[in-house]
Amino acid sequence: MNLKPDLNIGDWRLETAMPISAEESVIFVIDDDEVIRISCEQILRKSGYKVETFGNGYEGIERMKQVRPPLLVVDIKMPELDGFEVIKIVRKFDPDVVIVVITGYATIETAVDAMKMGAYDFLPKPFTPGELRLIIQRGLERWHLAQEAKLLRKQKEEVERKFVTLVSHQLKGPLGAVKQYLDVLLYTYRDRMPVETIEWISRSQVRIQEMINLIQDWLAMSKLERGALGDRNAASDIGKIVETVVQEHRELPLASGIELTTGVDPGLAPVRGDVVSLSMVVENLVSNAIKYNKPGGKVDVTVAGDGDWITLKVSDTGLGIPSDFRSHLFEEFYRVKTPETQNIPGTGLGLVICKRIVDELGGSIEVDSKEGEYSVFTVKLPVAAPGQEPED
Amino acid sequence: MVKEMTEPKTVLMIDDDVDFVRAVRALLESAGFKVRAAGNGRDGLQLAKTLEPDLILLDVIMSERTEGFFVLQEMRRVPALANKPVIMLSSIYNDVPAFRVDPEAGWLPANLFLAKPVDPKRLLAEVTRLTTTAAAEGRQQ
Repeated sequence: MNLKPDLNIGDWRLETAMPISAEESVIFVIDDDEVIRISCEQILRKSGYKVETFGNGYEGIERMKQVRPPLLVVDIKMPELDGFEVIKIVRKFDPDVVIVVITGYATIETAVDAMKMGAYDFLPKPFTPGELRLIIQRGLERWHLAQEAKLLRKQKEEVERKFVTLVSHQLKGPLGAVKQYLDVLLYTYRDRMPVETIEWISRSQVRIQEMINLIQDWLAMSKLERGALGDRNAASDIGKIVETVVQEHRELPLASGIELTTGVDPGLAPVRGDVVSLSMVVENLVSNAIKYNKPGGKVDVTVAGDGDWITLKVSDTGLGIPSDFRSHLFEEFYRVKTPETQNIPGTGLGLVICKRIVDELGGSIEVDSKEGEYSVFTVKLPVAAPGQEPED
Repeated sequence: MVKEMTEPKTVLMIDDDVDFVRAVRALLESAGFKVRAAGNGRDGLQLAKTLEPDLILLDVIMSERTEGFFVLQEMRRVPALANKPVIMLSSIYNDVPAFRVDPEAGWLPANLFLAKPVDPKRLLAEVTRLTTTAAAEGRQQ
């Protein structure tokens, strides 16, 4: 059976053997010239390497399904499948194998082209046993270094992921305990405290909450970085999420004096996305609408469906966003600085998180505002693919 | 005060953060509850069995990441504790969206899940509500 160059590379990855340990490394030689194959094999065996040779590219590639060599020597000029095509196919499923091309003097330029395509080095014909051994030795060293770097990178990513999760929990613990003391203190002894004490404790609560929110947002950013938010394959009931988040905010002291209303169309299709990510989006928009409101103001959250799209609107009757600031709203750590907003705590990450989640899900987010009157954030999200049921 | 004439209700806190326990204990005691505490799941389960408290406040992440969930499952297997009101209290509240959005779905056999730090007013209201309903249900049986 002949393998075609357009074979299904995806399945290959599953079938391939585990990387071979250094001592057992096998070198593959693909060359249509039998003399070259035999001489390469003899020279390399004498130096203690294991060698497998192939008369054409298809055989070599087929064999790579079972054995992954760290190093592949391939002739550029071959009748059936030339060296370029072999490199192209191999690179698709094995980014690690070090490839050395063999070429005649007349084709140095093609050798350079091969290197551009991902070959490591080239060996001009005719070559001496010493030249072959040297280039193989260097190539294998290169492979080992790349493997080590890869392993280190993987370990580093894992450490970073654990670090963020662990540190965020360990930071939240002490802060939570301190805030709990202050909450209980104020609740239990308020009547017996001087006004100034109450004021200072209240400020401490606000500042600690600021820190807790920052940790929460930092954790969300880290999840976004590694693609752990905005799951396109999930489906959720956005109406339920809106009702839950709004109800939670109604109970917060911050929302006292602000009227929170919802309007969710009945019979909405499930929206694309996971509950964690969508809750973050709604949460951030609703808490902004409350924070940047005026005393006695209103916040209205609506969800409506229109064919393949679901529209979430969060409107407030608040401070509004001056037009100069609007284009920067979705930038990291950007915060609108006006006399009215300077005492409002915020991380400058909330809208960034919203936008990145919405983008990830293939939706859009827009803002309309009039300074001193209102802001409306409109999020459009695609409905989930048919057959997907809301998770819960 | 009617509360002082009846037997005070007992709340068991299972939580490894001594300061959180101290703050919440003060809150509950100021409202007339008796509070006992355990610093890990194993001790907490043991104490729950001997004490049979009127309500249990349960942390999630203790020495194990999901310790609270296991303790809750174990409790529900003990006949005397199977119907005790349990409030889960955890800073991971926001990361458990299923329960948050749909607490009635029944994936977690707790009566309530609240975020840490907890609003004192809300906690007192819920603890009072749950210990009162449990007592009322107990009388009916």
